Amino acid sequence: MTAVGAGAVRPRSPSATTAFRRNGAYVAGLTPAALLLTLFFVGPSLWALYTSFTNKALVGLDAARPRFVGLDNYLRLFSDPDFATVILNSVVFVVGSAIIGQFVLGLLLALLLDHAERRRYRLATVAYAAVLLAWVNPTLIAGFLWVAMFDFFYGSLNTGLQLVGLPPVDWLGRFPMLAVIIANIWRGTAFTMLIFLGALKTIPTDIYEAARVDGANAWRRFWDHTLPSLRPIAALALLSITMSTFGTFILIQTLTNGGPGIRTETIALYAFHEAFRSYAIGYGSTIAVVMLALNAAFAVFYLRWSRARA
Amino acid sequence: MTTLGPQAQAQVVIPPRTRALEGGSRLEWALMHLAFLVVTVFFLAPFVWLFTAALDAQAAPYIRWPSQPTFENFVRIFDRYAFATALGNSLFVAGSTMLLTVVVVSLAGYSLSRIELRQKAWITYAVLLLQTMPLSATMVPIYGLARELGLRNSYLGLILIHSAIELPFLIWLMKGFFDSVPRHLEEAAWLDGRTKLRALFEIVLPVARPGIAVAAGLSFLSAWAEVLMVLILIDQQSMKTVPLAFYETFRTAGGYTEVQYGLVAAMAVLYLLPVMAVFFATRRLMVRGLVATTRGL
Repeated sequence: MTAVGAGAVRPRSPSATTAFRRNGAYVAGLTPAALLLTLFFVGPSLWALYTSFTNKALVGLDAARPRFVGLDNYLRLFSDPDFATVILNSVVFVVGSAIIGQFVLGLLLALLLDHAERRRYRLATVAYAAVLLAWVNPTLIAGFLWVAMFDFFYGSLNTGLQLVGLPPVDWLGRFPMLAVIIANIWRGTAFTMLIFLGALKTIPTDIYEAARVDGANAWRRFWDHTLPSLRPIAALALLSITMSTFGTFILIQTLTNGGPGIRTETIALYAFHEAFRSYAIGYGSTIAVVMLALNAAFAVFYLRWSRARA
Repeated sequence: MTTLGPQAQAQVVIPPRTRALEGGSRLEWALMHLAFLVVTVFFLAPFVWLFTAALDAQAAPYIRWPSQPTFENFVRIFDRYAFATALGNSLFVAGSTMLLTVVVVSLAGYSLSRIELRQKAWITYAVLLLQTMPLSATMVPIYGLARELGLRNSYLGLILIHSAIELPFLIWLMKGFFDSVPRHLEEAAWLDGRTKLRALFEIVLPVARPGIAVAAGLSFLSAWAEVLMVLILIDQQSMKTVPLAFYETFRTAGGYTEVQYGLVAAMAVLYLLPVMAVFFATRRLMVRGLVATTRGL
């Protein structure tokens, strides 16, 4: 949204003034959106960057008159042993729930559903709707549902285990990371499934016909034709779910709130806890800046890579 | 089909493959059905619990059919937890967000589609980059900024921020829809003496109606379900929206001393039902829009 000088306009119509008048209206049309995006995306990022160099607090003296502290917050963050744990937790959560869970399950479901559609199996439609429902369901409800599912004494999971004669498992106490990963797989698998279902429908059938004529069995046809055709979209889906999983907050917050201890504390929760538990919004902003930087690096890589492909 | 933007249009050219296969073995039938059964149970079980618990005055965290199905939980959330206020507030906030978003995103998507600038690719790139910013990272600074600007405990603040959240994605989505609307339509309208704005609303928007429907549906759903911003921006009792009322009840009545699952489940059902209604009513459009957009990324 830089200045629209005559030089910026690529004249398509015969006179440059007409072109300018045309674009003037379009710049005006973009203004409300630009204002909103500046106020709630760009503004907070710049504010966080500025605040991360101060000792701004929510209460007390440092709230009214924050002091400039240079790189103190960053030094404190990078020497904090908890921060290493938090980063590790984030990596485990992303790899477990997005890369392994949602991606593999989503791909399998898409392949099964695509096949079932051609066989006209009715149960497939029910399964498809169930996966979608978990996805459109507000995340806050997902957290509540899985709190009940994982309940140690009476939860559906442990009641089920006891029905088949197995001892109950203390899901949220002993395997908290596994628990939040399961819940996030449940919540987010639909996205990958939808992407792959769309991609599978664009593979032309004549490839398969040719392979069948050549005598390739089903497994070979899948390995040689289906998987390679899915590769470009697979990389995009992977990067996309990685970024959305990295930002997961409310699901973990409702299930474990980062606990027990900091065993499920990811970077998103850490920023929130540091900012509000100890009222140190300067320090909280520092964590937010690091998180935004990590995400931006990832996003730039993602966009460049996908544009190079296009 | 013609309104989905370039990617979707390209697909139409590909001849549809023969969908129906004959028969399949019995073993295959059994294995596939077993797989779908497992998937259905895993994804549906929590919802089965939710709906049975909501109808059970003595709900437990495991699935069981209520001995006496009753609407007692629903009556109690309206009587004792002032849930009607929260529902009204939420409808107002989500409805206003939807209206504002549709107007802003139609203008922006159309302008971005038609503008002729050298930096056009950069604008599109920047919009995409914003789309990947996680809300959980900007939550702390948004709280700090809103406190300083006096946007806390204000519906205006909440509506503005809810409109902004889905904006990058929707601008991108709508640009795709408008790209596929032929220009001669609006050019004819300009020759008739209509202004650009009138031509957009009278000629172009009706053609891009499926896009508007997706934008309206998604912005309503997102504003209705969104909880992070409500959590940090609203703490006045009378201004509570549904997610906040649910969150607080879940934290207190769903806590450890006296767990009232039925009550929380009833709230969750009322929080979820509009989402289900809007989504499944516009399902095909939404799924098509979402998939088409991601494919273009």
